[in-house]
Amino acid sequence: MTLLRERLGGAAVLGIPLIWIAVFMLLPYAIIATYSFWIKQYPTFVPAFQFGNYLNLFTDPQYSKVLIRTLKVSLLVSFFAFLLGYPFAYFLAFRCRSQALRTWLYMAVIAPLWVSYLLRAYVWKTILGTEGILNSFLMSVGILSEPSDIFLYNQFAMVVTLTYIFIPFMVMPVYTSLEKIPRNLVEASADLGMRPIPTFLRITLPLSMPGVAAGFTMTFCLTFGDFVAPFLVGGPDGNLVASVIVTQFGTALNWPMGSALAIFVLVIVLAVLSLSDRVERAFSPKEA
Amino acid sequence: MKLRLTMSAILALAAAPAVAEGTINVLTWEGYADSSFIDKFVEESGCEVNATYVGSNDDFAPKLMAGGGVYDLIAPSIDTTQLMIDLGQVEPLDTAAIEGWNDIYPKFLALDGIQQDGKYYGMPYSWGAIAFMYRDDAFDTPPTSLAALWSEANSGKISLWDDKSSIYVAARLNGDMDIYNLSDAQIEAAKQKLIEQKPLVRKYWSTAGELVDLYKAGEVVISNTWAGYQSSLLADEGIKVTEFIPEEGAEGWMDAWMVVKGTPNKECAYKFLNMQLSEQGQCGVANVNGYSATNGVAAKSCMTPEQYAALHQDDPDYLDSLLIWQPLGERFEAYLNAWNAVKAQ
Repeated sequence: MTLLRERLGGAAVLGIPLIWIAVFMLLPYAIIATYSFWIKQYPTFVPAFQFGNYLNLFTDPQYSKVLIRTLKVSLLVSFFAFLLGYPFAYFLAFRCRSQALRTWLYMAVIAPLWVSYLLRAYVWKTILGTEGILNSFLMSVGILSEPSDIFLYNQFAMVVTLTYIFIPFMVMPVYTSLEKIPRNLVEASADLGMRPIPTFLRITLPLSMPGVAAGFTMTFCLTFGDFVAPFLVGGPDGNLVASVIVTQFGTALNWPMGSALAIFVLVIVLAVLSLSDRVERAFSPKEA
Repeated sequence: MKLRLTMSAILALAAAPAVAEGTINVLTWEGYADSSFIDKFVEESGCEVNATYVGSNDDFAPKLMAGGGVYDLIAPSIDTTQLMIDLGQVEPLDTAAIEGWNDIYPKFLALDGIQQDGKYYGMPYSWGAIAFMYRDDAFDTPPTSLAALWSEANSGKISLWDDKSSIYVAARLNGDMDIYNLSDAQIEAAKQKLIEQKPLVRKYWSTAGELVDLYKAGEVVISNTWAGYQSSLLADEGIKVTEFIPEEGAEGWMDAWMVVKGTPNKECAYKFLNMQLSEQGQCGVANVNGYSATNGVAAKSCMTPEQYAALHQDDPDYLDSLLIWQPLGERFEAYLNAWNAVKAQ
């Protein structure tokens, strides 16, 4: 009786999440995948089994252009998030001696996550605009004689905004992996006569690679699916793949094409995830 | 006592749907259910009004196709009304139950997009032009042609509506005036024209509020606009802009109220239609959005002579000069695809 109850309990604990995943993740994916073989026909679309939408993805230059641009922006965002986030996490983990200061600084990076995404993106509009804070500042210190419009409504603005928004997703995993590195490894390296920079390059950095890979993956994937930044701070050359998907599902009423794009994006994201998984495993300490 | 409590609870539950019958959900544009004239309607008719706003005509189909029977009334523009009929989302109107139907300008009742098989599906409500607009302080000589939106002189200060209508604009600049029946080659030429313009564009605007912000922040000095609307919002902000109809002409639009198929709230829906076509609704939207009225009789009696003239109510030539939007049907995809290709560049 108790055994049965335990089994039932176990089934409930495991079963509910499994049903959840099946209904709210796998089923929608299956529906999207099905739609991607359908065909557009006025006024909407009709069931079919054909690869025209996927073919379109590769033959119509508008899709490859947007995909390449999205790839570029995502890589830049991940790169800058790494460039800014890593030294910060390093400072927190190794150099910051005060526990209070460390907590405080860590919270300073995480806290913006509690503020609405939209609001944070919007703030950058007021900073980067022609009559914005950055221009006023540059003019007041005499670097610019008249306001410049090069800061807003272009890819630069998108990369800046997205880097700012997603940087916590780089700092968190990097900090966690740095913190896990035993301090005596660094000391041992110094005792053996290795100077700080080689120590960092050969001990600390490789050991923190799982965190870097995780941070890179998250910032990359989040950027890849973003459509708010292009809408708010992107310019005429700022169309990203998520905006195109939105257009296909909305304006164009071409759910099949939108679904094909979505499936393609899913494949790219899964590829990045599996790649990062390999990187993480390659750099993880081998367990005997 | 206990029984009575239960009974009253049941009665209250039973009464709830009765209250719901007096509620209509409308999917429409901002201003079309403005409290300045809807409050009075709610009070007099006993029908509650819940409004959901769209940012573009392209929002109607996805919202209705999501199902659920949420909306009772919609107000798409004349380029989208046909799609609503073809999608089977709307039902024919009982025009006899709409007072003032015969006061609607005949030109609007003659439009194809609101009727099928001898039945009307849309009630003309308001109309206007997709005019062009510039900031007074940015131009010594006022622009008169679309060429101003392709001029190096305005580089980085130009905005265009993020909509298939940009193809209409570029086609007119190319001299292709039959903008709703463009051939593939003409669409391609318009696309090239827009790609040529792209480096000069600051931002494609997608909502009315966004365009107002762009002018306010000094980012943009010339663009197209929903005549009467954004310019008055900017005037409230103290920014001087002027609307103009370029030499190459402008598109016109008309919004029509449609009843969603199978609505359970027909009574309130028709009360709402009657109110919208009366002076209350016609001048309501004219005052809030600055749009022109479709019911000439109502407009004449509730507008001041100045407003009547400013909204071109007395000026059939103005209306005739506009290229009223038409449903593109199967050609819609070609237009939209060209516009998407421009944006992807």
